[in-house]
Amino acid sequence: MHLKWFLCVALIALPPLAAQQEAEKTEKKKNPAMGNAEAIAAGKKLYLTSCTVCHGPNGQGGRGPNLRQRGMWHPMDDDALFSTIKKGVPGADMPATNLPDDQIWRIAAFVRSLTAPAFETGAPGNAASGEPLFWGKAGCSNCHAILGRGGMLGPDLSTIGATRSIEDLHESIVDPDADGFPRHKAIRATLKDGRVIEGVARNRTNYSVQVQDKSGKLYRLNMIEVRSLDVSPHSPMPRDFAKKLSSREIEDIVAFLSRQSVRPFESPEKK
Amino acid sequence: MLRTCYLTLILFVPATAQVRYEDILKGAGENWLTYAGDYAGRSFSPLTQITAANANSLTPKWVYHIPKARGLRTRPIVYDGVLYATNSNEVRALDARTGRLIWEYKDTRSKKEGANRGAAILGDRIFFVTGDVHLVALDRRNGAMLWQKQYGRVEDGLDATLAPLVVKDKVLVGVSGGDSGMRGYVSAFSALTGEELWRFYTVPKKGEPGSESWGNYVEYGGAATWLSGTFDPALNLVYWTTGNPWPDFYGGERKGDNLYSCSLVALDADTGKMKWYFQFTPHDTHDWDAQAWPVVVDLVFNGKPRKVVVHANRNGFLYVLDRVTGEFLRATKIVDKLDWATGVDAKGRPILVPGKDPTPSGNRACPGVRGATNWMSPSFNPGTGLLYVVTLEQCDVYTSSAKEPEPKKNFAGGGASPKPVELGQFFLRAFDPATGKRVWEYPMTGPAESWAGAFSTAGGVVFFGDDDGHLVAVDAKSGKHLWHFQTGEGLTASPITYMVDGKQHVAIASATAIFAFGLFEPMPVQ
Repeated sequence: MHLKWFLCVALIALPPLAAQQEAEKTEKKKNPAMGNAEAIAAGKKLYLTSCTVCHGPNGQGGRGPNLRQRGMWHPMDDDALFSTIKKGVPGADMPATNLPDDQIWRIAAFVRSLTAPAFETGAPGNAASGEPLFWGKAGCSNCHAILGRGGMLGPDLSTIGATRSIEDLHESIVDPDADGFPRHKAIRATLKDGRVIEGVARNRTNYSVQVQDKSGKLYRLNMIEVRSLDVSPHSPMPRDFAKKLSSREIEDIVAFLSRQSVRPFESPEKK
Repeated sequence: MLRTCYLTLILFVPATAQVRYEDILKGAGENWLTYAGDYAGRSFSPLTQITAANANSLTPKWVYHIPKARGLRTRPIVYDGVLYATNSNEVRALDARTGRLIWEYKDTRSKKEGANRGAAILGDRIFFVTGDVHLVALDRRNGAMLWQKQYGRVEDGLDATLAPLVVKDKVLVGVSGGDSGMRGYVSAFSALTGEELWRFYTVPKKGEPGSESWGNYVEYGGAATWLSGTFDPALNLVYWTTGNPWPDFYGGERKGDNLYSCSLVALDADTGKMKWYFQFTPHDTHDWDAQAWPVVVDLVFNGKPRKVVVHANRNGFLYVLDRVTGEFLRATKIVDKLDWATGVDAKGRPILVPGKDPTPSGNRACPGVRGATNWMSPSFNPGTGLLYVVTLEQCDVYTSSAKEPEPKKNFAGGGASPKPVELGQFFLRAFDPATGKRVWEYPMTGPAESWAGAFSTAGGVVFFGDDDGHLVAVDAKSGKHLWHFQTGEGLTASPITYMVDGKQHVAIASATAIFAFGLFEPMPVQ
């Protein structure tokens, strides 16, 4: 069996088609909770009391499906998501709920925010407060750049809000090792001529390694020139942001990052 | 009697050179006539032009891009200067010296796309399977279709991906679909007429011996047969491996050993009757299909010469079995990351570590779902006496689902994947099959996504595809690096070697193309 199938078939909880169609008929109007930062925050509180037992506190799954990996569950539209929460999944362990509709919409908004780009869902923090933290106290810009301003070593964040969800952004800050940090292995190469090169490996095989140092200089090394190569098991990103920054500050940085997109930002409330 | 006449006809009406059963018996040489290189499954070539001393001067000779190919699984066969490569529902014949297309056959009926592992050859015929479970016979000279036979239905949860195995005058095939709730089988067809001659089901019918090992869902037990087997002509036995029981990750509805899933079955080549079986993973819940072919080797075991099969299994053990009787002789670990069993008992049954089954919330176990090895070609080299196996050190989090199983739908009863921070690593490892000891290893770099295997030669070289898209040559004795070439994409097939115009070539399918290599020589003046 091939890996992609595992991702597709694992932990599926499909809402019956009939339920989806019914939901489409009755709930066609976009609900204002979707993409509203405050509603998402309220939805998270409801989620933590009602859903976390099966789906995990961060949506990582457990008895129920993982809600953060889109391949692991049906890519439902907003109405189908609402309907699934309201009516449950017959034949599976997912129960129906008695919560009023507006509260269900808030939970749906939170669940959507687990996978939808943060730019579209909005983030609960204060982006204006996050901006100076990013460029200053938190030190993010030492390694990360936005539109050409900032460091070289970390991933460019100019459009990060359009590609990552709020949860992903949050996780990258408090647990940088969580995503396996491909293409950003911290590396220290000692060459046979005595030089030591430190930086990030943009790529690496048994036969060559492409190292970029802090200044952006690229070293294309043939492994024949290398005496020893230390590859860090960790992401080069500091792992103590959860201690150095308050949870409010992290939330504000996430809010700032959620605005980073080539599309102009439009508040969901104005839509 | 009639069959013998047909066989005689195939063998003795040679307008051009033809492939005889006797030619396949000889194994690889100038030609590469079977998927596994020879009937023994050694993936070994006696060619000696490329050696450990000169492999570092290998250069590309040609590249043929297969239109619209994605993740080619084909291992080509070569006969008389022509290379035959398959893709989903397609076969192409290429000039093995230049890579120029001679003919192509595209099946216009099959709508089922999927992997295809290669073709088989006998007489003037090329055989391959389509995604929608038809065996097709083509004229090897021009790709003209001679016959095609449906031997299974997509609606029954089946598809077909394997390279057929020609045994005497028969073409043997199996089926895929073990993740869908189907029933596996091996079928033998007349190479001449396409008539089905025998069929062996890998899951017994209700009431037959072995069916008591299933509980519910015996009709959909799986045990697919998606990789062609090996053959011992002296014993007239075909060795075929079987896939996972269904549902893959949830065993609650199929209590028992689930015979003959995750097993090796020894079948009489003429009748398809099972002579013996050996089950590697009873009641599997980790999707550890046994699909890695059993290598037919004669070796001195505990001071006595024995006829054995050697088999590196997904479950992490290297098995040695008596191939006459199926008697278990020994199992040793091929990976360090193995935590589901502490070992194997005197009868070959794994000694389980409790609590390693998939759970709704996820349970980490090693090896991972793709196994300690898989269908990528192993190689046995009689010169070094070593067995070369591509191994994967990986653990996965295995999850089971509470959902009711639905036969004939792609439903596995759960899933498995590694934690992002815990991706695996591939190694090419050399084992001494007489002792089970690891002699050397070659660690690979890469994303842990390879499906490429190996072959080895009397020239003392092992060629294999690595996890970073390189074709690599290493010294067969020491594992020392000799040469590599970056194909530019991930490898999902195993390499071969052949001779054309007196020159040894090495070929491998990358994701989208066939690459061929040979020793450097200046280009002659045109």
